[in-house]
Amino acid sequence: MSANKILIVDDEQAIVRLLSMSLKSDGYDTCTASSGEDALDVFEKQSPDIVVTDIKMPGMDGLELLKRIKDLDPDKEVIIVTGHGDIDSTITALQYGASDFINKPVRDEALAIALERAQTKIRIREQLASYTQDLEEKVAEATVEIRRKSNFQRLLIHSSHDAIVAFDQDWQIVVYNPEAARMFEKRARNVLNKMTIDDLYPPELATFFRAEARNGAHDRGEMPWKEMTLETRNKKLIPVRYATSVLHEKEEFMGIVNFFQDLTEIKRLEKELIQSERMAAIGQTVSGLAHYVKNILIGLKGGSYVVDVGFQNSNMEKIKSGWQTIQKNIERVANLTQDMLTYAKERHPEVKLCAPNEIVTEVKALVSDFAQANDIEITTRCDPEMGQMWLDPGTVHRALLNLVNNAIDACMEEDDLDRQFNVEIRTGKTEAGAAVFEIEDNGCGMDEETKLKLFTPMFSSKGGKGTGLGLLVTKKLVEEHHGTIDIDTRLGYGSLFTMTLPERPETGRDENDK
Amino acid sequence: MGKKILVVDDDPDVRTFVVTVLEENQYTPLVACDGVEGLEMIQKHTPDLVILDVLMPRGSGIRLYRHLKTDDALKSIPVIMFTGIALRSFLKSQKVLEEFKGEKVPEPDIYLEKPVEPQELVDAIRKKLA
Repeated sequence: MSANKILIVDDEQAIVRLLSMSLKSDGYDTCTASSGEDALDVFEKQSPDIVVTDIKMPGMDGLELLKRIKDLDPDKEVIIVTGHGDIDSTITALQYGASDFINKPVRDEALAIALERAQTKIRIREQLASYTQDLEEKVAEATVEIRRKSNFQRLLIHSSHDAIVAFDQDWQIVVYNPEAARMFEKRARNVLNKMTIDDLYPPELATFFRAEARNGAHDRGEMPWKEMTLETRNKKLIPVRYATSVLHEKEEFMGIVNFFQDLTEIKRLEKELIQSERMAAIGQTVSGLAHYVKNILIGLKGGSYVVDVGFQNSNMEKIKSGWQTIQKNIERVANLTQDMLTYAKERHPEVKLCAPNEIVTEVKALVSDFAQANDIEITTRCDPEMGQMWLDPGTVHRALLNLVNNAIDACMEEDDLDRQFNVEIRTGKTEAGAAVFEIEDNGCGMDEETKLKLFTPMFSSKGGKGTGLGLLVTKKLVEEHHGTIDIDTRLGYGSLFTMTLPERPETGRDENDK
Repeated sequence: MGKKILVVDDDPDVRTFVVTVLEENQYTPLVACDGVEGLEMIQKHTPDLVILDVLMPRGSGIRLYRHLKTDDALKSIPVIMFTGIALRSFLKSQKVLEEFKGEKVPEPDIYLEKPVEPQELVDAIRKKLA
């Protein structure tokens, strides 16, 4: 039993003695006093847990004692012993914080019940105190932990390599880390809690996010990474990748968080990588090229010999045919040089409005003499709906010419003499509106191995007659135009090359703005 | 009229060159642009010598050479191989063919790797026709 010590106060000695004896026999520790003043003395010295006091005493009465004790220690329990019907003093006692009342004459059972009740109260209070202390400790611990975590998170956001920007439900900016400040070129103190999404983001982006938040249709509120180009206040263009989380709490829109990654460095490295790969390819091509250049030299030497002979014999025919050989080989050197330059350098398509079908006609005119001389028929089937399109006519021309020349070569390689060789050029549009060029021949075709090696630098299936650059250059031009080349081929039956070029009006406008 | 010499080569520049060399040295040139045409010309004109390219469309020089050397009526016609292919590669390819076909064809009399000076070609022809 914890609250064991009881102070009994009464001016009648007999009652004090009687109660004390009775309580002692119940296992309590008691002390006594015969007046209020006396009781305060004992209270201070012995610090009892419970005080049982008569209300009517000469000098300091029970009520005054109760008040004094409660002033000294409000946790002490005071039981008031009162006469019948003394309502006023009962009310006062209650006001002073008496814990219980017993009527005179004091009966043992009533006292026992009152004491037990007081003890329970004390026990509960003690427990409560210990709980409270416990709770306080736990709250303190939790607070430290929360502070640590929130500091950690703040640090995390602060030092993140991603620019992090978050908006509350009113689109005010509530998170804005240093990387964001660097990217948007605005100081945090001018932005945080001062700007809204419309002040920071370009209008189309702000509109987009507002719409996304309204829709709220996202299951997890997350959107996939997207790429865009950000224009800063100083008109600097930064390629970025960004992700978005729409924040909800209980179905209610709470705001959004954006993560931006600066892709400038990555884009630069990508470019460098492509460039160095291309230079390596040029290096690999050198041995193939040496062979090709040697053939050109042979042609030039042979041609000049024929010209010399023509001069010696005053034979105009000889001079002419020798000169033709020389010119043809000069042309080959020129083409080779151009191919190498095209392949080695990065080039942006020069997009303008042009008529794809007209380019087909031009290319056909360029090759038709040669094709005719070799019994190869060139046919075209152009979609009359092609009209004018935003394409790079240079790319279309060179790629087409290259593919058609390849097709003619493929016809000349085929051994089947009964075949009427044909190269057909077709145009059309995809559903998405991209220009499609098909070049089909019924020449020698390719086996799987040749097809796979087709775009490898220095690979040529034409012996010394090819540089191994032609298709490579074509592919590069087409890819720079964001287009594709597909090949369908069967050894001995022919090939179909399909070149698809999307329209690039935006590049066209850019070019025109410059 | 000089002796008839057939040039089989798909490259018109090479044909012009060789024909000029032949004319300058009082031979009578004949030309064919591929293996099939070459055989036709040989059967029709029975040239005294054939100058033969190796890599050509429609029946390569290799096929024509093997045909000539295994045809009793034609095997006596001397052949000069005149090509951009290295001799080593050519001989290796022939060895593979021989093992596969089980027939032995004599090595070409003269094998000239392009580029060839006009005099070199003339010397080779003279040597064969002497």
